[in-house]
Amino acid sequence: MSRRIVIQPVTRIEGHAKISIQLDDAGQVQSARFHVTEFRGFEKLCEGRPFQEMPGLMSRVCGICPVSHVLASSKAGDMLLGVEIPAAAEKQRRLVNYAQVLQSHALSFFHLSSPDLLLGMDSPPEKRNIFGLLDRDPDFLRRGIRLRQFGQRVIELVGGKKIHPGWSGPGGVHRQFTTAQRDEVLQWIPEAVGSLSMALDRLKGLLDSFHTEVEHMGNFPSLFLATVNLDGGLEYYDGLIRIVDAAGNTIADSLDPKRYHTYLAEASESDSFVKTPFYQPFGYPQGHYRVGPLARLNVAKFAGTARADRELREFKQRGEGGVCQSFHYHLARLIEMLHCTERIEELMADADLFSEHIQAKASLNRREGIGSCEAPRGTLFHHYWVDANGLMTRANLLIATGQNNHAMNQSVDQTAKHFLKFGSDGAALDQGFLNRLEAAIRCYDPCLSCSTHALGQMPLEVELLAPGGAVLQRMTREP
Amino acid sequence: MRTLVIAIGNPLRRDDGVAHHVLIPPGADRRSVLQLTPEIAEEIAGFDSVVFLDGDVTAKEVRIESVDSLPSASTLTHVARPAEIVALARALFGFTGRACTCRIPVSDLSEGEGLSPRTETFARQASRAVAGLRP
Repeated sequence: MSRRIVIQPVTRIEGHAKISIQLDDAGQVQSARFHVTEFRGFEKLCEGRPFQEMPGLMSRVCGICPVSHVLASSKAGDMLLGVEIPAAAEKQRRLVNYAQVLQSHALSFFHLSSPDLLLGMDSPPEKRNIFGLLDRDPDFLRRGIRLRQFGQRVIELVGGKKIHPGWSGPGGVHRQFTTAQRDEVLQWIPEAVGSLSMALDRLKGLLDSFHTEVEHMGNFPSLFLATVNLDGGLEYYDGLIRIVDAAGNTIADSLDPKRYHTYLAEASESDSFVKTPFYQPFGYPQGHYRVGPLARLNVAKFAGTARADRELREFKQRGEGGVCQSFHYHLARLIEMLHCTERIEELMADADLFSEHIQAKASLNRREGIGSCEAPRGTLFHHYWVDANGLMTRANLLIATGQNNHAMNQSVDQTAKHFLKFGSDGAALDQGFLNRLEAAIRCYDPCLSCSTHALGQMPLEVELLAPGGAVLQRMTREP
Repeated sequence: MRTLVIAIGNPLRRDDGVAHHVLIPPGADRRSVLQLTPEIAEEIAGFDSVVFLDGDVTAKEVRIESVDSLPSASTLTHVARPAEIVALARALFGFTGRACTCRIPVSDLSEGEGLSPRTETFARQASRAVAGLRP
C-alpha cells in the first residue's frame, strides 16, 4: 500500500511551508514535494498607489531582505522617470546591497544553519540551535552575531534604519554619506575579515564529515542564473544576466534584465502558492534554474576582490564545470560575505560616495519600469506598469525563492529517497530524517514571505498519507 | 545605573505597537524594534538592566516578570524571544544585569495606527509600572 508523509511547517526558514512524501505500494519513496502554503498578494495591494511609494511599500514584503526590494523598486522607478542616477546614489545603493547580503547571509549561516553543521544532523532538536552552540563554540556564535550587526549597522548608517530603510527612491537617494560614517564602517572591517576567514576554515574542515549530505541532499544538474558585470565578474547591483549549465557551459549571456519577460516565464503548481520561473527556450521543467550564492559563484568568472577570488578558485574545483551540490550554498554564502566585506572597504575609499549630488530630478517619462538586483537569495525583478498620472496599474515580482522552487523540490525528493529509514512496519520518521529534509531546504535560505508573499512563522509538521489521502502518521515540531 | 527599555512591536498593526506608546523612566535609553534579533544581545551588554516591553494577546493585565532562564526547546527562527536574547547577552557579551519583561494586554491587531481604548489604558498602566521599577 502506498503512503504519503507530510512535513509541515518547515522550521528555521522564513515563511510557511510543508513537505509531503508519497510512498509507493512497495513502501519506497515515490516522490517528495515542498509546498508553500501561505499567500499574501503584495502585487495586488500596490495597485492604485503612486509609483514613488513603491520602494517603501514593497520593502514591507520582508524584514530580512527589505533592502533588495527597496533597490529593485527604486531601479524600476528610475526607469519610469527615464533618468540615470548620480554616481553617489548608485554607490550608496551598492554599499547597502553589500551590507544586506552580508547581514542576511550571517543570519542564514551562523544562526540558522550552523547548528546543523557544528552539532550534527542527528543531535537532539532541542539542542540543535544557536543556544546549543553556546556550549560548543561561543566564540563562533559571537562572531556570527557581530557579523550580522556589522551589516545591519552599515544599512542603518546609510539608510537611516536597519530594517525597511526608506532612503532610496526613484531618481536616487535622500541622504548624503559622510566621512564620519565612513570611519565607523572601516572600524568593523578587520574583525569581519577575521571572522569570515575563521568561518571558512571551519566549514571547509567540516565538509568531509558531511560527505553523504553533500552528495544526496540536493546534488543534481540544473541551469544557474545570475547577474554579472560587463567583464563577467560577480555583480549584485547592476549588470547583465548570464545562464550556465551544470557543466559550466554558457547557455545565454549578456541578457538584459529589463527584458527578463522575453526569456523567463512562470509556471504554477497546484500544490504551492510559489510560482516557478523557468528559462523559456528550454520549456518547463527542463528550463528550471537555481539562483543565489551557489548560482552566482557558478556563473561569475571571477569575484574581483583578492580574498574572495582565492576562495572562488578553490570553490570552483568542487565541481566539474559547475558545482551542483546545493549543500555548497553554505560555502558560497561565506565566500560572498567575504567578497561583500572587501567591496565595502573598497567603497569607503571612493570619493564619489560622499558627493552631495544624490538625486536625479524628473517627472514620469515611461509607463513601464523594470528594476533588478541580486538579493541575498538570488536575482530579484520588480516590474511595474503605471497610468498617465503615475499610479500603479499592475506589478509583477520575480523573487529568488520562487526561482529556486523547483530545485528545492528536487532536493527534498532526493533527500527523502536517500535518507528515509525503514523499520519492520515500513517507513519510519525520526528526527534525523526530518532535520535532513529541513536542512535540504535551508540550503537555499528560502524566504517564503517574499515569494508568496505570506504572513506567519514556521513550525514543522510531517504527515504520512495513504494512497487515498488518509493521514497515517503526523509529526509536529513547534518553532 | 543605566537602563535600556526595548519596545517591541509593529506600530502599523494598532495594538501590536503598544510598547512604543509606553513612557520610559527619565535617564533610561529606549530602543524601538519590530522584533527581536540576535545582535540586540550585544547592545544589552552595555546596560545594567533591560526591560522588554511587548503586547500580549494572552495577557489579562500589565505584568512585569523577571527574565531568568532560557525556555527549553528554543530554536530561534527569524524571530527571537527576550529570554533568548538575554541568554545570548549573558553568555557571549558579559551582561550581568537584571532583565525583565513588561507584557501589556492587547486585542486589536488589525492594520492601522493608534491603540484601541482598552489598550490605551493598559499603556498608561505600563508606563507607571515601568517607572516604578527599582534598580
